[in-house]
Amino acid sequence: MDYPNRFDVIVVGGGHAGTEAALAAARMGVKTLLLTQNIETLGQMSCNPAIGGIGKSHLVKEIDALGGAMALAADRAGIHFRTLNARKGPAVRATRAQADRQLYKHAIRGFLENQPNLQLFQQSVDDLMVTGERVTGVVTSTGLRFLADAVVLTVGTFLGGIIHVGMQKQAGGRAGDAPSNRLAERLRELPFSVGRLKTGTPPRIDGKSVNYAGLEIQAGDTPRPVMSYMGSTADHPAQMNCYITHTNAQTHDIIRGGLDRSPLFTGEIDGIGPRYCPSIEDKVVRFADKDTHQIFIEPEGLNTHELYPNGISTSLPFDVQMELVRSIKGFENAHITRPGYAIEYDFFEPRELKSSLETRHLGGLFFAGQINGTTGYEEAAAQGLIAGINAANLSLEQAPYCPARNEAYIGVLIDDLITMGTKEPYRMFTSRAEYRLILRQDNADRRLTATGRALGLVSEPRWQRYLEKVEAIESRKLHLDKHWSHPGDEAMETLLGQALTREYKLSDLVKRPNVQIDGLLEAVGLDWADTEINDQIEIDLKYAGYIDRQQEEINRVLTQHSVSIPERFSYEGISGLSNEVRQKLEQVRPATIGQATRIAGVTPAAISLLLVFLKKARHSLDDQKSA
Amino acid sequence: MTGTMAHTDTIVAIATPAGRGGVGIIRVSGGRAASIARLLVGKLPAPRLATFSNFLDADGSAIDQGIALFFPGPNSFTGEDVLELQGHGGPVVMDMLLNRVVQVGARIAGPGEFSQRAFLNDKIDLSQAEAIADLIDSGSQRAAKSAVNSLQGRFSEKIHELDERIIRLRIHVEAAIDFPEEEVDFLADELIHQALAEIEVAMAQTLAQTEQGAILREGVTLVFAGRPNAGKSSLMNYFSGRETSIVTSVAGTTRDVVKEDIHLDGVPLRLVDTAGLRDSVDLVEKEGIRRARQELGTADIILLLIDYSQHFEDWQAQAEALLAEVGHRDGAIVVLNKVDKRELEFIPTFTVPVFGISVTMLQGLAELKAHIQQAIGFDAQVEGNFIARSRHLDALRRANLAVIAGRQQLQTRQAGELLAEELRIAHEALNEITGEFSSDDLLGQIFSSFCIGK
Repeated sequence: MDYPNRFDVIVVGGGHAGTEAALAAARMGVKTLLLTQNIETLGQMSCNPAIGGIGKSHLVKEIDALGGAMALAADRAGIHFRTLNARKGPAVRATRAQADRQLYKHAIRGFLENQPNLQLFQQSVDDLMVTGERVTGVVTSTGLRFLADAVVLTVGTFLGGIIHVGMQKQAGGRAGDAPSNRLAERLRELPFSVGRLKTGTPPRIDGKSVNYAGLEIQAGDTPRPVMSYMGSTADHPAQMNCYITHTNAQTHDIIRGGLDRSPLFTGEIDGIGPRYCPSIEDKVVRFADKDTHQIFIEPEGLNTHELYPNGISTSLPFDVQMELVRSIKGFENAHITRPGYAIEYDFFEPRELKSSLETRHLGGLFFAGQINGTTGYEEAAAQGLIAGINAANLSLEQAPYCPARNEAYIGVLIDDLITMGTKEPYRMFTSRAEYRLILRQDNADRRLTATGRALGLVSEPRWQRYLEKVEAIESRKLHLDKHWSHPGDEAMETLLGQALTREYKLSDLVKRPNVQIDGLLEAVGLDWADTEINDQIEIDLKYAGYIDRQQEEINRVLTQHSVSIPERFSYEGISGLSNEVRQKLEQVRPATIGQATRIAGVTPAAISLLLVFLKKARHSLDDQKSA
Repeated sequence: MTGTMAHTDTIVAIATPAGRGGVGIIRVSGGRAASIARLLVGKLPAPRLATFSNFLDADGSAIDQGIALFFPGPNSFTGEDVLELQGHGGPVVMDMLLNRVVQVGARIAGPGEFSQRAFLNDKIDLSQAEAIADLIDSGSQRAAKSAVNSLQGRFSEKIHELDERIIRLRIHVEAAIDFPEEEVDFLADELIHQALAEIEVAMAQTLAQTEQGAILREGVTLVFAGRPNAGKSSLMNYFSGRETSIVTSVAGTTRDVVKEDIHLDGVPLRLVDTAGLRDSVDLVEKEGIRRARQELGTADIILLLIDYSQHFEDWQAQAEALLAEVGHRDGAIVVLNKVDKRELEFIPTFTVPVFGISVTMLQGLAELKAHIQQAIGFDAQVEGNFIARSRHLDALRRANLAVIAGRQQLQTRQAGELLAEELRIAHEALNEITGEFSSDDLLGQIFSSFCIGK
């Protein structure tokens, strides 16, 4: 039967991509339906119990600035917060939170249930409704048909998954969950290209069987960082410690002894695993000279004893897993609650997506999350947010929102995916962002809140808080620009460790490498509250030269790089373009000249040729229109 | 400025063929043309009026004097602000002028870029699109060849060595930033300071040597190719006036590529003697043949030597076979050697020029030499190499400045991210010479060097 109400946007899947997509579309005021196999698992953290980290917290804070849920939920569920790279500079500083799975899920569920314009429905989706080259709705397993302007698919959690433990293998999604295979089969009948990836998890351990005595304690940071711009430490639940232990020579011997039954080394697994997250057997083989590897013991929550030993992902047979775990300090009597495993799964070629995350093959159909070859909650949520926004934009007949590489890590993520594709589960790193000094986690709100507000994503309280912050930054900066320190100013000379030879603007003194703004404010007797605001001023002033230089670099190429390429532009008629370059351009179908420049192997000369022929094509199009 | 593409960068090129004597024109187009005029001419010349002036170096001394012309956009050839400096045209002076313009904010134009800008700014008829495309295409093929020529030998070795060192340093710095929990925190390490200091010194040395022209070759490459014992080495020795190749009558004596740099009436000429092109089972000789083929790809002129005394009946078939092996006909000349042993009655016509000579009896050599000189002239290739050299120097200078800045950032602020940024800039500058290196390549190097991953 047809469901009696028509929706504007349907989101299929209730993971991190699906929930952000549904919330974003609903916030923009369109009638949204979230279809999930199981309402109980909405917002489930299915792998390691942490949010954030290097490059990832950058994404989380951008999602937050655009009104998303992830950072808020992390603050409500975080049981251990740390600032990473504290001393390496503000651009690469990151926040990481261990999260209680139950609290996290609970927070997300709360946001979904209380979101106006959003309805939840539990049923698995078996098919898409298609008219011509457009999606018109979805069909559930009971034959229920839902109609909508746009459909966001976030069902990538291990499509066509095969789980390996030793030489045993079985079909399955994330241990315990059924994958959406019916829908996956249907997608395969459509013209999407499918690739295969691999990843793994460590065995989980019962904390009651662990001997913590003598293990290195890793406490959370004081002062404790928060994830959301709207968050505070008052949101945080009770805090817990993590622990660190190590593998040893005996562990490595046990692993080597089991390699003949490792699916990774016998050729059973042919999916490509992530280079940055190798299994413990991979590490032992590839880095044979290292006689020990770190293991981070992460608590899974406040009300469970289960632990996540981060660093020993493995698909060795269970008997080897038990032996290797018990060779590790603290784990001598450990009880494994769930075996580790490797999983191979399908993903859809992300180079067939537009930067809005709409598929090029079917209008109105959007893909977000693991289905696009990424890994990680943060990467999934970021795509979900953009897909949800653009599904709503499509329904509202508005232009898509696609942040650029110089505006957000979200832009880097999506541009990398749709331009270069991926050979391994794609994860964010700060080194992927060429404008790293501008894209900081501390200024995500200053970069994106106004855009989010214009899109209808940002609530009134968030907007007011943002305006106050920006106002305070500007007025305090003005103050520092207008006030001077003079020779003989004792407090200042003590701070600088030298006498002032002439008068200096306070703002110029902040720029000095050895001056911190807190000390300077104290020296001049300014009692400015809110260190977050003072930090922004300090970063703005100290890094002005570098920020200006990156901005100049951006402006220099902006005019040329923003030249758009029509969707159906023919590369056939361009003389001088090599076949290799032509094929690459046809595969990626870049939306702009900027994107074309980033395709590996596309030369500056090819770009020059493209510009010339684009101009010619545009002109002849104008002629046709006016004729 | 009022041009339609106000935000494009400013480009510069030498608009006249490089060479001695005559007038040399340097053309600048883009938003900074006016400010560059003020710096080099001392003032902004009145629009479209020839102004006689000194062209000033950074220290205020005159590099050259000549006529400066300023065309404000959009009423200029490219539609942007255009500055033209017409000087005396010697290669050294032109080089200095070009470098000065680059120093104050322009970059060296890509192939066909002036015409491309003119086209994009509606200064050239749209029906000319194909012609512009050809210009870009042929120009970039020539530029690629020039870049390879300029990148021969020691300069190439040094640049690649610097590139390797920068990569090694970057993977340490970036790993420390992206994987702080992985026991790879090298930023505090004294070795990083040391490596940076070493790179800085090595870069400064390479830069100095390159600026003095000690290791960077420019000029025309002349390749001697042919079957073993056709007389390649003897002819090369004649040109260079030295015994560089081992000349014996045993076929296959030249086992390596032998090179010699000479001047032919002022034109720098690089002579390359290849191992004989033939199938060989000898490993050393096979390597020589492989190198020979590589040289052929970058040659401006290829002398295909044939022993006429052996092949007086089938020399045409021999020539065709050699041409097929060479893979192109550009700049190919068939030289029939040993005409003293078997007389060549008249010079036959063929698809490429043909000469008959005898190296031992000094017959026909003057004619051959004259032909080569004419073919080389001061043509585009000389200029191409000249520009390629300027490009490489410019990239090396930028890389050097970035490395110096990076070391200062690490020393004064212990700022890992700023060091990383400067190294990125240095690496990108070197990559203009050595080729693409993506952030994903960098991550790949990190993952293969360090055991990373929770």
